[in-house]
Amino acid sequence: MVCVDADGRIVLVNTQMMRLFGYPREELEGQLVEMLVPDAARAVHPQRRTGYMADPVPRPMGAGMQLAARRRDGSTFPAEISLSAIDTDEGTLVTAAVRDVTERQRRQDDLERAVRNLETFTYSVAHDLRAPLRALGGFTAALLEDCWDGLGEVGQGYAERIKAASEQMATLIDDLLHLSRLSRAEMNLHAVDLGAEASRIAEELKRGGPGRGVRFVIQRPVWALADTPLIRMVLQNLLDNAWKFTSRRDDALIEFGVTPVENARVCCYVRDNGAGFDPAYVGKLFNPFQRLHTTQEFPGTGVGLASVRLIVERHAGHAWAEGAVGEGATFYFTLSAKESA
Amino acid sequence: MKSRNILLVEDNPDDEALTLRALRKNKILNKVTVAHDGAEALEVLFADGSGGEPPPGLILLDLKLPKIDGLEVLRRLRDDERTQLIPVVVLTSSKLDEDIIASYRNGANGYVRKPVKFAEFAEAVSTLGMFWLLLNEAAPPFVHHQV
Repeated sequence: MVCVDADGRIVLVNTQMMRLFGYPREELEGQLVEMLVPDAARAVHPQRRTGYMADPVPRPMGAGMQLAARRRDGSTFPAEISLSAIDTDEGTLVTAAVRDVTERQRRQDDLERAVRNLETFTYSVAHDLRAPLRALGGFTAALLEDCWDGLGEVGQGYAERIKAASEQMATLIDDLLHLSRLSRAEMNLHAVDLGAEASRIAEELKRGGPGRGVRFVIQRPVWALADTPLIRMVLQNLLDNAWKFTSRRDDALIEFGVTPVENARVCCYVRDNGAGFDPAYVGKLFNPFQRLHTTQEFPGTGVGLASVRLIVERHAGHAWAEGAVGEGATFYFTLSAKESA
Repeated sequence: MKSRNILLVEDNPDDEALTLRALRKNKILNKVTVAHDGAEALEVLFADGSGGEPPPGLILLDLKLPKIDGLEVLRRLRDDERTQLIPVVVLTSSKLDEDIIASYRNGANGYVRKPVKFAEFAEAVSTLGMFWLLLNEAAPPFVHHQV
């Protein structure tokens, strides 16, 4: 900590400052504080200093700016400085608490580099993996179309399998990319009526499967602060699942509503009386590409619930599930996002 | 229909073969010239009067190309009055927003992500050929005015 008088002269320093800047006490006290300011900022500093004296409220110095401080040997370090004032018999003194943030800066740089690397990786997944896959699927299709007779029945079967597998892999890659985009997507929070959204999705499901006699019970309105496209995706995934896993029931019932909960703004649930799941695997349910049923039983790639958890967590919430085999499932999610988040 | 050429700029031989096959299968019999990188594409387009080839009626352009990338090819095409008005459709694997935006910003007329499933890929190629070579009224080919 360094104490400066109205003229900008250093009146007091503690030992930590002496160590940080590499000066003995006698070389600091009585000198202008500008000796601790790097060359680039020294010229403007007296003016800023006078400005602070005129309105000395405690605040961080240079909000939003990258500050640096200058050591005795002329080297500089990234610094975080907070200012406050004390009234004394000799007038107002300004105290500046200076912190060396080199280490934090380095970690932040590392983190930014890691994120950039991850984005490069995503790009190469998007581009480089799809090309060979397209060749695999494309030439298998060509084989089936152009060389059908030559392949014979066995060969045709094998070629069909290669084609199906390459298409399956394409879907998986797309899902993976979808997840990575979700975790980066920008969030705009608005008040959303989740009940109205759920009803709309239910109507779409009923239109898409007119043969199914599913009864929906949807609570309305259910207001929550959320990113509209993202929270729609949550409801869509959960209701799609409920729809899918009740496909073997004639008396299918799907409910959406809220339930009281502590430590969250709102807790919603989607309940169905469908196939349910073995509670032993409840911990795996939200993992990407985790499936508890074979594709023959119920189709899917296992990315839906992973998206749900990702989106809910971005809204400062949690997602969990309850269920038993043959007794349906209930999926809960809380949302606690605040306006400023 | 005046038979206009297609210039396919594609470095991946598999994609080249699949695109050519899709065009043929869909009875789009226009002559297709293939450039395997950005530099070759510019050579084909700006080889002044050498082969007497008319300018293409459609350019299918991949983005990620050796030597000169697709966006740079696009910029140079749009900077030259001889090629300024030729329809260019970006045909690529990427569906990153920044690639899409950069393509349009540099004057692409369309952006199509190559579908992985061959049936969809073939349909995309055929739709592109139909629209740009048959349905769409292109600007008349550039003519050099003597000064």
